[in-house]
This record gives sequence, C-alpha cells and structure tokens, in this order.
Amino acid sequence: MAAAAEQENPLLEGLLPRRTPDPFAMVIFGASGDLTHKKLMPALYALLMRRLLPERFAIVGVARSEADDESFRADMEQAVRRYARDEFRQDVWDELAASLHYLPTDFADDAGEDRLVERVQQIDEENGLCGNRVYYLAVPPVAYPTIVEALGSRRTHTGWARLIVEKPFGHDLESAKALNAMLLEHFDENEIFRIDHYLGKETVQNMLALRFANGIFEPIWNRQFIDHVQITVAESIGIEGRAGYYESAGAIRDIFQNHLLQLLALTAMEPPIDFSAESVRNEKVKVLKSMHTPGPKSVVRGQYGRGFVEGEQVPAYREEQGVAPDSMTETYVAAKLYVDNWRWADTPFYVRMGKRLARRETTIAIQFKRAPHPPFEEVAAEGLRPNVLLVHVQPDEGVSLAIGAKVPGQGMTIRTVHMDFLYGGAFRTAMPEAYERLILDTVLGDGTLFTRADEVEEQWLLVDAIVSAWQRDRPGFPNYAAGTWGPPSADDLLHRDGRSWRRH
Amino acid sequence: MSAPVELATWSGEGVSIADIDNALARLRAASVTDGGGPNLRTSVMTHLAWVPDEWLDRARAALAGMAEQHPSRTILLLPDPDSGKDRIDATLEVETYTPPGMDCAVSTEVIELRLHGMRAKAPASIVLPLLVSDLPVFLRWRGEPPWGAQELDQLVGVVDRLIVDSTEWDDLPFPYRHLAELFPRTAVSDIAWARTSRWRPLLASLWPGIADVRTIRVRGTAAQAWLLLGWLRSRLGRDDIELEHVEAERLEGIDLDGVPAPFPPGDPPAPSDVLSDELDRYSRDPVYEAATIAAASA
Repeated sequence: MAAAAEQENPLLEGLLPRRTPDPFAMVIFGASGDLTHKKLMPALYALLMRRLLPERFAIVGVARSEADDESFRADMEQAVRRYARDEFRQDVWDELAASLHYLPTDFADDAGEDRLVERVQQIDEENGLCGNRVYYLAVPPVAYPTIVEALGSRRTHTGWARLIVEKPFGHDLESAKALNAMLLEHFDENEIFRIDHYLGKETVQNMLALRFANGIFEPIWNRQFIDHVQITVAESIGIEGRAGYYESAGAIRDIFQNHLLQLLALTAMEPPIDFSAESVRNEKVKVLKSMHTPGPKSVVRGQYGRGFVEGEQVPAYREEQGVAPDSMTETYVAAKLYVDNWRWADTPFYVRMGKRLARRETTIAIQFKRAPHPPFEEVAAEGLRPNVLLVHVQPDEGVSLAIGAKVPGQGMTIRTVHMDFLYGGAFRTAMPEAYERLILDTVLGDGTLFTRADEVEEQWLLVDAIVSAWQRDRPGFPNYAAGTWGPPSADDLLHRDGRSWRRH
Repeated sequence: MSAPVELATWSGEGVSIADIDNALARLRAASVTDGGGPNLRTSVMTHLAWVPDEWLDRARAALAGMAEQHPSRTILLLPDPDSGKDRIDATLEVETYTPPGMDCAVSTEVIELRLHGMRAKAPASIVLPLLVSDLPVFLRWRGEPPWGAQELDQLVGVVDRLIVDSTEWDDLPFPYRHLAELFPRTAVSDIAWARTSRWRPLLASLWPGIADVRTIRVRGTAAQAWLLLGWLRSRLGRDDIELEHVEAERLEGIDLDGVPAPFPPGDPPAPSDVLSDELDRYSRDPVYEAATIAAASA
C-alpha cells in the first residue's frame, strides 16, 4: 500500500469529471428578502434534488427579523413550494431543511457579528465543513461595507471563503471603484463573485457555443459580412413597486450597465484561448475598452406614459407609486454604439432596453450585408430581407436564421423564411435557472460567469459618459406610450442610417 | 416535461421505403395545428433499436422516457424471420409537442418496422435510406446479439455506437469475448456498466488501500459483478482478484475483503436516463473496453 500511495490513482481514469463541490457553509445576508425566497432557496433545492451539492453543507440565513431555525425552515418551505421549478418532494426538502439555520441580527454591532461567526463555526464543527464559507450579500448595497468589513476582520485561514455580491454594483464609476477597493481590502479578486444573472442563462452561454463551436460563423463574424447588430432587452412589466431603487437607477443603470453590455461583449469579443475565467473575462474587457462614448445624437432616452399592455390599461411611470410626478428618470434607452477594433470598425451596434414595451423579449440580431449582386428581377426579390441570425435569449430560447427561398411556382419569386433551432425542441428537459448555475459555480470557485472588477469599472466609464451628456438637456417626458416599442426618436436613430429596428 | 398534444399514426403491410417516406411527410403535414406554422422536426440522432418480440414492451417504455432528452428519428426493428412471409410491415408515429413557453409545435418520429422472413437478415439496406443525414446513429440491441450473424454484422457497420445491456445475457462472462471483438469496429456501451458508474468513483476514493484488495463481493446482477471485477483487475493490473457474486436485481452493495464500500447517495437512475446518458457519448471508452476484456478472461 505504501508503494501504491505514491502512484497516481489508476481507478480515476475514465471516470466522468464531475464537478463536485467541497463541503461548505453558505451565509445568506438578507434571508428574509425576496431574492432568498424567489431565487436562492429554489435554486438550492434544485441543486440538491440533482445531487449537485456536496454531502456536507449548511445554509445560515441572517436577517433582522426575529425568527428561529424552525420558523425559518417553514418560511423557506413555502418559498420552495411556490417558486421552485421542480415538483415538491418531501424527502429532498427534509434533507435541505436539516441544513438550514437562522440567526436574527442586524449585523451593525460587534456582538451580532461575533454571534454569527460563533454560530457558523459551531455548525461547521458539527458537520465537518472544513472552514469553507460562501457569503451571499442579498441585501441593499448600503449594507455591504458593514458586513464585508465585519467578515474581513473575522476571517480565519481555515478553508476557502467566497463572497457573492448582487447588482447594483455601484451607481457610477467612482462608487464602483470605492466598492471594489473596499471589497479588495478583505477579499482577493478571485474570492469575489459579482453576479449578473444574465450570464447564468443558458442562452447567453449559448452565444459562446454558437460562435466558438461552429466553424461556419466565426469567419463571417466581422465587419466584412455583418451590416449591423441589434440587441434588445425589452420588458413589458413596469417597475413592480421598486420605485425607490428605479428612481435613482433608471434603465441605464438597471439594464444597460450590466445585462446589455454583457450581451454586447459576448457578441463582439474575440475567441478566448480557453474557457477559463480569466481568458473569457480578458476578452470581454477588451471589448469594453474598445467602445467609444456615443455622442448625444446617438443616444435616445424615454419614459413611458399611460398605455395598454396586453389589453390592460397601465399607468404612466410618473403615476407609479413612489415616483415623483415630475420624475426625469428614463425607463427606456436606445443607443448606437461602436466597438473600435479591427473586427468591428464602423459596424454599428444598435441597442435598446426599456420597461412597459410591447412584449418581453431579449434578442441579439446579427444582420448580414445583402448579397452583392442578386441576379433576379427587382420585383422577384421584393419580399426578400437581409439575412439575420437571431439569438433568442428569452422567451422562445434558441437561434433562428432568416434566409431567402424561392416561392414554389412557375416564376422566380423569393421570400424570406426562418430556419429555427429552439432549445425547447431539441432539448426538452427544462433549462436550469440562472441562480442554480451561479451558486454552483461559486461553490466550485469558477468565476467565468461573474463580472470582474475591471469589467465593472469599464462598464461604468461608458455609462458615466452617457449620463453626463444628459445633464445638458431636458427631454419632454413621457415620450412613449406603455405597450409600444419606445419613443419615435429611437426609430429615427436608425432611420438616419437607412436602417430600422427589427420587425416584431 | 411537455405532454404530447397530438399523435398522428399510419400503418401498412408489405410497404416500401418510399411508402414510409411519403407517409411520414403526410403525417407531418397533417399534424400542423389549425392556423399554425409548420412544426419543427427536431432530431439530434437516428436511434435504431433491434427489438425481438419479448423485449418490445420494455423497449417502448425506455423510449418514452428517453425522447424527453434526445428527440430523434427512432427506428424500431422487430425481427420476425420465421413468420413465413417476406415483407416489411410499418407503423409510423409523428408525435407533436408544444414545449412550455414556445409558440410553435415540435414533432419527432417513431418508425416501427416488422421485418418478416429474409428482410430480417438484411436490415442495413432497410435502415440506410431512413437515417437522418449528418447525425450520429445509435443502435440499441435488446437481448444478447447473435454473434457472427449477418444482421448484427450489417448493423454494426452503419452505426456510430452499439448499446447493449449485458444484464440481459446468460452465461456471463463468456459472451464478453464476442462483444470485445466488436470494439475495433464501433464504439460500444453496456448499460450494465453504466449502472456501476455511481459506485466506481466511491471505490476509486478508497485508493491507495484498494490497491491490495483480494476479493470483491458484489450484490447485484451478474453483469455488474463481472464488469466491476474486470474494472478492478484491468485498472490495478492484477489478475488475482477474486469475485464473490450475490444475485440481486440491481447493484445493492459492494464489499472489499469483507468491508462494505461506501454507498452512493440518491436513487439509481431510471432506465431511460441510463440509456440517455449513453446517447451523450460519441467515442470509444478504453476503460470500459479493458474492463470487458478482463472480465471475459476471468
């Protein structure tokens, strides 16, 4: 046996490289909040059901509300029953419930912080969690410094520690830098996991597979063949009672700074040398660094007025509860952006995002240049539109390609038809929720689908430049009706270039 | 999981391949919902299954679960060489689903061919025109293959992977010698081997102590017992490890020199999930092949 101990284990050869996490304790700050109920606990339940969590783990909920382990478990059971994507299974729940603990504290005093550390340490010793910790900040950003500093000052050198930070990550470049600096005082960059849940979506990750696993796309994925790109992140819902946050954020901080720029970066990035966190994030940062600030005429902002969504009358933004009646917060942004590099020079990326638009839709449309010399009579091809590769991020997750095809008959008439690949058709198993993937990746220490400090700062650099230009004018809000595709000036943004937004 | 919203069927006796092609086209057209666009026909492979009558019910059950993850054109070949006829009878099904959250329907096809008389001896010429172009072809052979027979030889020649379940075989480990002869011709999966996959990492975790094991005692099927023995012998490079086998319908426990090995957590996967996992593999598995060869020579 002594000789064997020095050899490589031959029994491991050929075993599927399953990503098995180490034992860990996850401390959720903000355990009584919506995120914990709607996303985190259902995600943990789904991971456990699929045996993707290690045999030994513990979840410790922390919040101000007075509660104990039993009431916390009862509350979380209701959350799982209501929000989990799987059917409720008592045996799975019982196993998860046994790992749940709760500690009421406002975390603003040393005694509370010490109590938490002691409790987690005790749970660790009882369950053999090897000192590994995941700290999930599901609390408003204002609480970050208190929590992070308390955690940092009580760190031990046993096991690993990982910190999950939710958006918004700052509200401008200066605050983002300050937040990064504060976090980096106590945690290393590779211990910080900044969540942009869009990156956890299967279809967003599929952009990487589409581009880099298919030899046919990459040779034409450039300015030579692509006329322009359109990225749409449209929501039909309003602000859903989040006036306090949305009034200070607006569409540009809520969607543009994070989700939209992530989609753009994945679309425009160069092939990474491998799929490691650093390689992928290096390429995304290069894209952000290549983007130049759009001038005022290249950015449109809007705010919805009253209108109809799905036949139901909805109020104007300024009539939403908690919104100032003269609010100048934008609920819509459209912009023409350029990525100034060899691949994309002079190729516009038209982006738009907003609330109370005609429907919920997130798409990336790659519009190719027209055939240089169609040999058909003009009338034959009048129904023909340019080729478009459309990536549906949500809903109808999949990819479709618009191509010209001959209409059956004696003459030569050409029409545009769609070839569709739909996830729901090819892979009928339900797609995992973004938070399942992101929590598992955190426990495994894989930061590929998280945002790095310099990435966040580059995003804010661009946003700050746009916002500072807005200080110089005061548009007439509201300027689009709820349930439409945004203000007319957004259409003009493309019409000036002889283009138009995709027809829906 | 989505429920089938429509199941269009057609059947015929004494049919040609052209009849089948035409009938499939009609079924697909007929399954379009009123006012809807054309259905998407989705396939990620052609899935062949050689299913003698006694296996038919179990094959259909596994198929039903598998389609959730591997929509495919499925061709069930039901050999009936002694029927006294010489013809192909066909039953076609086009299943149309509307997956959750999608506007359009998706259809998949199941082609069930009863091969009478000599048709059962020339199956490759029947399935070749029916394969979906450019997609991998998997063959699930139910029961013990007729080693050396021309129908096996032909089908192995057209598929990318042969999937067997040696739990369905008698006189183990002898048939593994014949199976091993197919390894150079096509990738092979054995579902009995796949069913040990939850246990092998746990046994591997016993390294280096397991290096000196003398006896492995397996409570499970004979196939699992022989393959686990073959795996240990081939990986450890030792042919002196002994097997004690206690028959059970599924793998219930493993003892090494009388000491129980760790038990894997969770429930064993459903038959359709095991088959489904094998359909995700495209290349030869040298560890499995070595285990089979070692089991054959035990």
